[in-house]
Amino acid sequence: MKDSENISKAIKRSDFDDKIEGRAQYCADLRYEEMLYAKTLRSEKARARIISVETPPLPAGYCIVDYHDIPGRNIVPIIYEDQPFLAQDRVNYIGEPILLVVGPDKQIILDLLSKIRVSYEELKPILDITQAERPQEEYIFENKPCFVEYAYGKGNIEKAIENSSFFIEDEFRTGYQEQAYLETQAMIAVYEEERLTVRGSMQCPFYLIDALTQALGWPKERIRVIQLPTGGGFGGKEDYPMLPAVHAALAALKTQRPVQLVLDRQEDIIGSTKRHPAIIRIRSYLDNQNNITGREIDIKTDAGAYAGLSSVVLQRMMFSVAGVYNVENLHVLAKAYATNKVVSGAFRGFGGPQAFFAIEMHMENIARKLNLDSLELKRKYFLRQGDTSSTGGLYQYEIKLAEITAKIDDLSGYSRKVNSPTAKNNSLYGLGCSVFYHGCGFTGSNEQDQIKAKVLLKKYRDNSVQIFVSSTEIGQGAQTTLRKIVAHTLEIPLEQVKQDYPDTDYCPDSGPTVASRTILIVGKLLHDCALKLKERWSEEETEICQEYQYPEDLSWDKDKFQGDAYHDYSWGANVLEVEIDPLTYAINILGIWAVYDIGTPIDEKIVRGQIEGGIVQGLGYGGLEVLTAEKGSLRQNNFAGYMIPTALDVPDIVSELVWNPNEKGPFGARGLGELALIGVAPALALAVQNALGRQVKQIPLTPEYIMELMQNV
Amino acid sequence: MVTTYRPITLREALEIRSQARTILLAGGSDLMVRQRVWSGTIPQFSNPVVLISHLKELQEISLTENILQIGAGCTLAQIINDPGVPAYLKLPLSQMATPAIRNLGTIGGNICNSSPAGDTLPMLYALDARLTLQSKESARSVDIAEFITGPGHNSLQSDEILSQITVTLPGCSRYFYRKVGARQAMCISKLSFFGLADTLTEENDSLIRDVRIAFGAAAPTVIRSREAENLLKGRRCSRVPQLRGDILACYERLLSPLDDLRSSKEYRRTVALNLLDNFLTNDLQRSCVE
Amino acid sequence: MSDTINFRLNGEAVRLTVPPLKRLVDILRDDLNLTGTKEGCGEGQCGACSVLVDGRLANSCLIPAALLAGRSIVTIEGYRNSARFDHLKACFEKAGALQCGFCTPGMILAAEALLCQNPKPTQADVRVALAGNLCRCTGYNMIVEAVLLAAREGGKLWSQPTGL
Repeated sequence: MKDSENISKAIKRSDFDDKIEGRAQYCADLRYEEMLYAKTLRSEKARARIISVETPPLPAGYCIVDYHDIPGRNIVPIIYEDQPFLAQDRVNYIGEPILLVVGPDKQIILDLLSKIRVSYEELKPILDITQAERPQEEYIFENKPCFVEYAYGKGNIEKAIENSSFFIEDEFRTGYQEQAYLETQAMIAVYEEERLTVRGSMQCPFYLIDALTQALGWPKERIRVIQLPTGGGFGGKEDYPMLPAVHAALAALKTQRPVQLVLDRQEDIIGSTKRHPAIIRIRSYLDNQNNITGREIDIKTDAGAYAGLSSVVLQRMMFSVAGVYNVENLHVLAKAYATNKVVSGAFRGFGGPQAFFAIEMHMENIARKLNLDSLELKRKYFLRQGDTSSTGGLYQYEIKLAEITAKIDDLSGYSRKVNSPTAKNNSLYGLGCSVFYHGCGFTGSNEQDQIKAKVLLKKYRDNSVQIFVSSTEIGQGAQTTLRKIVAHTLEIPLEQVKQDYPDTDYCPDSGPTVASRTILIVGKLLHDCALKLKERWSEEETEICQEYQYPEDLSWDKDKFQGDAYHDYSWGANVLEVEIDPLTYAINILGIWAVYDIGTPIDEKIVRGQIEGGIVQGLGYGGLEVLTAEKGSLRQNNFAGYMIPTALDVPDIVSELVWNPNEKGPFGARGLGELALIGVAPALALAVQNALGRQVKQIPLTPEYIMELMQNV
Repeated sequence: MVTTYRPITLREALEIRSQARTILLAGGSDLMVRQRVWSGTIPQFSNPVVLISHLKELQEISLTENILQIGAGCTLAQIINDPGVPAYLKLPLSQMATPAIRNLGTIGGNICNSSPAGDTLPMLYALDARLTLQSKESARSVDIAEFITGPGHNSLQSDEILSQITVTLPGCSRYFYRKVGARQAMCISKLSFFGLADTLTEENDSLIRDVRIAFGAAAPTVIRSREAENLLKGRRCSRVPQLRGDILACYERLLSPLDDLRSSKEYRRTVALNLLDNFLTNDLQRSCVE
Repeated sequence: MSDTINFRLNGEAVRLTVPPLKRLVDILRDDLNLTGTKEGCGEGQCGACSVLVDGRLANSCLIPAALLAGRSIVTIEGYRNSARFDHLKACFEKAGALQCGFCTPGMILAAEALLCQNPKPTQADVRVALAGNLCRCTGYNMIVEAVLLAAREGGKLWSQPTGL
């Protein structure tokens, strides 16, 4: 069996039958005997002190859960210790949870909620980056405007500036994006025999273990987390589920009854994390030969009320913003500002989409100024094997950007179309091409420092093998692809390999299901583990654990941001062809092409699903998904207001892969999940920019913004 | 919880209406959302509810000569699928909401909602639709433009039910409809335009016998300028370029769009005039050369 | 406060005593434990709660109980016993039209509603028919392909009644 070829062949998904038949039980589908419901009372103020909370008399069987009910620490364990599970004496954003009403009848819960009076002393809120930059009487986070402020670089930027002849500068702005998974956040907690079990919709079961141990002050042994079928995540169920999980657990503990907490769509939108809005300024220095010799980049993100994952999102953004280009001298300054708005956090791409939008627009603007073909200019600076990365790491393996761009040019006819009479004469027709990468796995050495993933394989007497990992199936196919990796490694039929939804009582912590790490890191560990099992196959029953080891050929200095920022990289290029409706300024997408190097595809059908789903989320990000805050309140707070693409908004998508197996990945695979989203917004924006002959400075590209561009000569 | 009535006949429904202040619930596609509170709870209505979408008397569509009568309880899908209904009347309906909602939502519900962005309205205004408002003792007929008095407001009395929409079908040689929304389906209009013309081809030119132009979501209620239409009526299509400026000016005076969640007033104003200009230039003016 | 309502559900007569304004989605999920019908937004905007009412697609979150009288409702739990479902299922599998699965039951019923009325749809027809069913995972094209495939290879499946 030639594994590397065979493993790509599509198979039926493990979860297919249950889901298509409507048998898969998501959290809201479960009913326990004597189960109670919980509903959250949320802050209506962007920034305030809570003076008092008056509650009505409660009928028998109903209770209120607030911060007093937290036996442990009222602090969400993420990176910085600033966010409470339930507000205590102050609130920092509209939608922040204050308390829950719990009971058997939803109508009575609603009546009780409507009778609770919270008196606030309102404080002056900080509502955006511009305001956050000004001196404040009282900051949100410690005594400073930012949660974090980073700088890194390579080469000698001062010298590059000194020796340069001129510079080209751009500033770009990006908006919020909502994950809009179809299943809202949902948890059920059950207290039984001195233990708490939380089941629900999630990406990262062990994050919930951390949150629950912290909130309850209990040892891990008394807490169990089980993932249920999960209706999409896209980053939105990375860290946020810690809140509803703890809320449901507190309620279950107080009432000694099972408690279900399912967020309504509106609560979910206003309360859960979003993609960071960003302002990115890039200044490129050029010498008298028009060579780009240096680059200064300034990044500001709107991180919202609590630090959350903003520091790591910012790190990925500032590494991604160097793009796929080798520029000798670089300096990047990056800040994540605290504002009194919903917490910004993880969303597929994790800082990459903002960064690649900015750098790809900027490269094209340089080409335009220099009167060069943009792809030709980009090619000149493409990263190559042996190059030093922006953080001083070494690109050890072949980088096939030339092949990727040649292939996409061939597929889409980009160069031919750009120079066609249609493009030159029709002022409302244009093409855009973006080139991008995604660093797979956690940034730097965090796989070692924070996670240290473990996987477990058990072989049973009947020669079946069970996978024990904490990687969650959230639609992306993890339960299918990981089983394939193990079956192919052991050279046994797929049916012999089992994998259930993760249960922390049985699964080791193989880390969160994020960062395009499931195949690359967890899949590789399973591959190595299966190789060991293969050697011991003659044993009737056995179990083997495999633990992550930081590769010897990588290094990372997390204080100086020097070394290998990622374990591996996946690469891609997108072309979009558009025309603008002259009457309504709407974008009509004529074609989308995509080429990627993801190493070996583990399952071609699942890969295509990831590609097309990512592309359409990227189209939403660049085009129609508008989410804005007014006085700290999100305006598009339901699915009528926050609009994601429908089947009618999507054209045919042509995608292909280049063959470039990754020596470090299982069967040569690299990460894919996030890559497919990243390049779409810049390709769309470039297509629009080229159609209009006006510089695009922001996304999403609403017709209103396009009209403004067309009118302002 | 409020009382809910499910009358068997229209007469019974009118009897209930005559006795108490009630809320009429037809397809539910709007009210069931507005009154919704939490999954698993009953939508909360402030007054007793009278269900009417099942009433057979409200579901007839008939065409006699050029008089089209549509029962107010007809769903959008029912009208779209009716062979007797002309294409220009179906077009705005077929772009509304989603297939599932078009199977529930009724034309009467859309009218009584009286939203400036109601997608049946520009077409109905342009067609001078007459509404039959039935009460227990009597019935009255009003022009749709008189019926709708402001955003979300109309002159339906507490004892009345909108029972029928009557349209005298005009001659039509050309029509143009555009719903402008944030995406291709399932969105509330930022703006909409409905234009219809009846031209008579003569040698080298055409005579504009009739023209109707209406905008949705461009002002508190649908706007339609008789003054502008009269400027065009009876003229030759070849004259449209000379009249264009006056026509645009007529509508420009009437446009008073809002800034809201969905769009800006600048965008609405500009696009409204673009669509009008397009209708004049591409639909009317070009008629002269066909 | 409650009325007794008679209707057909998945081919069988049902008699229920429920508040007349209770939403069909809640009746299905809470009273009848038919949880294959999902609630994604509660506003008719996502299509996850789609069911068939007298053979036509409808959002069960928008339908009050009192309007069910005399109607015939089909949910995924009934539809999955049909030959058409088996065929659609095979086509969804072949085309890779499923990821997180939350939109899928609604999507299947939207496909059924289309193919019933139009057994040989164009790609554009399919997109229109699915436009009220949001999917955040797939980007839709693989679902559109699945429905086209079902139509192409469906033979006479959609010219005969399902018996539901």
